[in-house]
Amino acid sequence: MTGKQKRLVRLTACAALCCGMLPMAGAMHIMEGYLPPAMCIAWGAVALPFLAAGYFSLKKRVAADRRALTLAAMAGAFIFVISSLKIPSVTGSCSHMTGTGLGAILFGPSAVSVLGIIVLLFQAILLAHGGLTSLGANTFSMAVAGPFVSYGIYKLCGRLRINKMVAVFLAASLGDLFTYGVTSLQLALAYPSATGGVAGSVVEFLGVFAPTQLPLAVLEGILTVITMIALESYARPELRAVGFGEA
Amino acid sequence: MARSHAHGAYAIDRLTHDSGMGGWNPAFKAVLALGTLVICLAADCMAVSLAVIVSLAALQRVKGGLPLGTYLGLLRVPLVFLLLGCLAVAFDLSRAPAGDWYVGLRWFYVCTTAGQLAAAAALLLKALGAVSAMYLLALTTTASELTGVLRRAHLPPLLCELMYLIYRFIFVLLDTHERMHTAADARLGWRDFRTACRSFGGVAGNLLVLALRKSRVYDDAMDARGYDGTLCFLEEDKPLRRVQLVWTAVFWAALLLLRLVARQKGA
Repeated sequence: MTGKQKRLVRLTACAALCCGMLPMAGAMHIMEGYLPPAMCIAWGAVALPFLAAGYFSLKKRVAADRRALTLAAMAGAFIFVISSLKIPSVTGSCSHMTGTGLGAILFGPSAVSVLGIIVLLFQAILLAHGGLTSLGANTFSMAVAGPFVSYGIYKLCGRLRINKMVAVFLAASLGDLFTYGVTSLQLALAYPSATGGVAGSVVEFLGVFAPTQLPLAVLEGILTVITMIALESYARPELRAVGFGEA
Repeated sequence: MARSHAHGAYAIDRLTHDSGMGGWNPAFKAVLALGTLVICLAADCMAVSLAVIVSLAALQRVKGGLPLGTYLGLLRVPLVFLLLGCLAVAFDLSRAPAGDWYVGLRWFYVCTTAGQLAAAAALLLKALGAVSAMYLLALTTTASELTGVLRRAHLPPLLCELMYLIYRFIFVLLDTHERMHTAADARLGWRDFRTACRSFGGVAGNLLVLALRKSRVYDDAMDARGYDGTLCFLEEDKPLRRVQLVWTAVFWAALLLLRLVARQKGA
């Protein structure tokens, strides 16, 4: 192990101490039937322009080179598998990455939005995570907001000449936190609190999910960094093939 | 080491293929599930939610041949999220004591009213009803049949092909991942947290490399079989039966009636 890796491992150990005690679950998906019908439609409509943009960019890429289709499909399946993996934690608790930060850094945010809605649909019918009516809201928080923030942070760090791995860490964990914030906002808009209104309700939902989501965001950042280190050391040609590495 | 969720994708997929309702017309099942889902959400009424939960569980048991224990186990999956979410709905934070009951916590009060608790319970039931309706689709219709339904509903062909391929590749990658996981396990790769993190990163990175390599192999295989930009799959012809339509109409009418009655009693 290099010095950098050693420091990383030490960092993960600290994170483990913070989150090892907590029973965690992938509680980011808004479940089926949780949102009132009007909200479902509204969030779907908000996500639609991003999906359309992603669809057209994908269509252009496939028209230019048919092989882009299988590549995109593999990327989608990769995001599904990564997000369904149990991530290591000290206790035997069960938690998942969102995988969208890694996806956005590797494949670009617009592609991830299209792949994201398909992955979310399959997560609903294969894993019972999320749902059909909450698909719009989940797509917006997990496949649009998170990836775009991740990608923006990653590019910004590139401009500011910040160390690449720090940039990857910030992109993945802040993207995760942003997703969690957007999900709480969506829930709060649907169920405003009687005394504090929407703002009070946001605080409540943030508070309820914080014990699971804060350590998870840190862990997601760390694991994304370790994955990127593995990729950079063994798979430079493949990284270039998906259009990563010029930055 | 048990990996419940990688396992989960296999588990639900297998149940789907084994389902006794597999012979039903997939478009009909989609309409039945979505219709029930919409009624359950729009009715927003405890009695209707309960009726949906019970009748769909009975349908899965009797027509689908799904053991009740398995079904209840699946209903437990979303329960963590639902309970946490309902907690936030049931309780309020405020600086001054308010509501029917409250607990002081130095800087703020956690308070609630009987109405709020009832609303949270209703929400829990409604969400469970909706999940049951989703399971009616998820546990009886395979993902490729569902894609076929979407294709006939004029989803752009590019997205349909992407869905077909992603569905297939998910299982290819899960299989690959399982082998890498076992290999790491044989080398004590999940021994402690530090090693587990390193193994996780290595496995994830390696999985991407293999996925890209496989995508090239699949391309060549598809080209060799004359792929010209459109994927064609043969589909089984599953006719729609009139009895099913009649029962669906009766079921939905009963739900609507139940709501009317429940509302009148409540008002």
